[in-house]
Amino acid sequence: MRQFKIQNLKFKIIVFVIFAFLFFNFAFSGVASAELTIKANHNHIKIDFFYHGSTVSVKGTSDPDTDLIIKITSPEGHEVLKQKGKIAGLLWMNTGTLKFENIFNLYSIHSTKKIEDILSNEETDKYVIGYPALEKHMEISPVSGNEEKDKWFNEFVRFKEASKLYLTSSGKISTTVKDGKLEYYILTDWPYQAPPGDYLVTVYAIKDKKVIEKAETKVMVEQVGIIRTLSNMAKNNGALYGIISIVIALGAGFGVGMIFRKGGGAH
Amino acid sequence: MNFMYLYLPVALTSVNVLIPVGLGLAVGLLSGLFGVGGGFLMTPLLIMLGIPSTVAAATDSNQIVAASTSGTYAHWKVGNVDFKMGLYLLIGGFIGGLFGVQAIKILKATGNADFVIKMTYVLMLGIVGTYMFIESLSSMKKNKTQKVKTEKESATGRFLKSLPLQTHFEKSGVTHSALVPIFFGGFVGILAAIMGVGGGFLMVPVMVYLLRMPMHVVVGTSLFQILFNCIEVTFLQAYTNHTVDFILAVLLLLGSTIGAQIGAVFGRKLNGEQLKIILAVIVLVVTVKIISELTLTPSLFLSQGGGH
Repeated sequence: MRQFKIQNLKFKIIVFVIFAFLFFNFAFSGVASAELTIKANHNHIKIDFFYHGSTVSVKGTSDPDTDLIIKITSPEGHEVLKQKGKIAGLLWMNTGTLKFENIFNLYSIHSTKKIEDILSNEETDKYVIGYPALEKHMEISPVSGNEEKDKWFNEFVRFKEASKLYLTSSGKISTTVKDGKLEYYILTDWPYQAPPGDYLVTVYAIKDKKVIEKAETKVMVEQVGIIRTLSNMAKNNGALYGIISIVIALGAGFGVGMIFRKGGGAH
Repeated sequence: MNFMYLYLPVALTSVNVLIPVGLGLAVGLLSGLFGVGGGFLMTPLLIMLGIPSTVAAATDSNQIVAASTSGTYAHWKVGNVDFKMGLYLLIGGFIGGLFGVQAIKILKATGNADFVIKMTYVLMLGIVGTYMFIESLSSMKKNKTQKVKTEKESATGRFLKSLPLQTHFEKSGVTHSALVPIFFGGFVGILAAIMGVGGGFLMVPVMVYLLRMPMHVVVGTSLFQILFNCIEVTFLQAYTNHTVDFILAVLLLLGSTIGAQIGAVFGRKLNGEQLKIILAVIVLVVTVKIISELTLTPSLFLSQGGGH
């Protein structure tokens, strides 16, 4: 009985130590090396009536011997897109749909130097940095073989780049060394095509072709005011929204008709 | 903040306000002149602006409600709307629309829906445009030599006269069986539902050539009919698909309601044959545009709207 109690106590201590270890490890992991910091300015983007995109600046400090990669992504998801193909060797039309899985609606990568020069392939794949890594990370169906996957991946990137949702740049992050620390800064355009949601900004510090540290922050995009009211109403109260849209259209049509009659436009 | 741009809450994109207002004005002008909704022009232009195709089509129908109200009102003031004919066409169009929706379901199940729809569209536009062009050209020539146009009594004409429920349409000055406009309205309704367009460019020739209505009454009556169709479509799109963008619709209707008035005034200065031949040219230009789109390599091979 006593022996059992002691064993029980030992067990509790072990569990406590393990939890304490995990807790400290988790809580201070970012602080331990404490070199890399990140901060995004204008990180709460409000979509109002006159919204036409925004800018987001990302800055922070790092170890002076490191290269940096900044990645901005939307949450992972999937998308179904129509694919165009030639029918009867002559006519271009939608020939079917393709499902893209494990993808980001928004994906932008900025690096101090070219990614392939500063980071190994294993690391790019691990952290999904750059288009080749993104291609490995995503699934496209239905495709027969890698060649077709390549083709549709490239089309996917072109499609996203056309609406400014995908972007890569190298050498645009400005850096200065101050008090033995590397200060970095980049100002990027935030596309109006990016829908409301939470976006993740991650900075990776790189040394000897490896990620030695990473830090994260968020950019929140939110609809406000009239835009929010209309958007919610369209989604949640379609019938009323439809009726209001129709009544206003009818009113506008009659109103303009009346004005023209008064103006003597008709006889 | 830039006041030239407005954000569209349903399309989730931003536009320069002058573009939709200008587009509305141009398409509204066509509405007032020819009695077409102009969806065959407006929807592709909106897609080019970056509006998702489903939102473009739904919002356009909301805008047409305003343009066709404005146009119907302008034509009604000068007595160019045949409400009785419009009502029969509407009944037919409503029934046809129901069949059309079923037809799409069957087409989609066979897998080649897009091909069939595009081909039907191109063929219809091409045939209607060519026929109207040739017919109005030849009757313009005839009018120069002989002012009095003799009505030919064709076999179809005799058949139509033999149908029951003959009734006189005072505004149009024609007598038909009530079944005739219901049947043709239904026919246009089916095609319009399959092609995903309002069908004004089909309805106008049907009224001119098959129902033998005078062109100016055709324009007013067509607008009246389009108005009710688009009210129904706008409601269904807003209720079931949530794809009507209110702000975009308001920008478009700012232009289109005024355009429709200008079109109606301008239309009175032209005679029926002139109106027909201009409409024929527009329909043919659109046909050529669609054919070139189908044959030229697209810039992007992927597009939105494949579902969730």
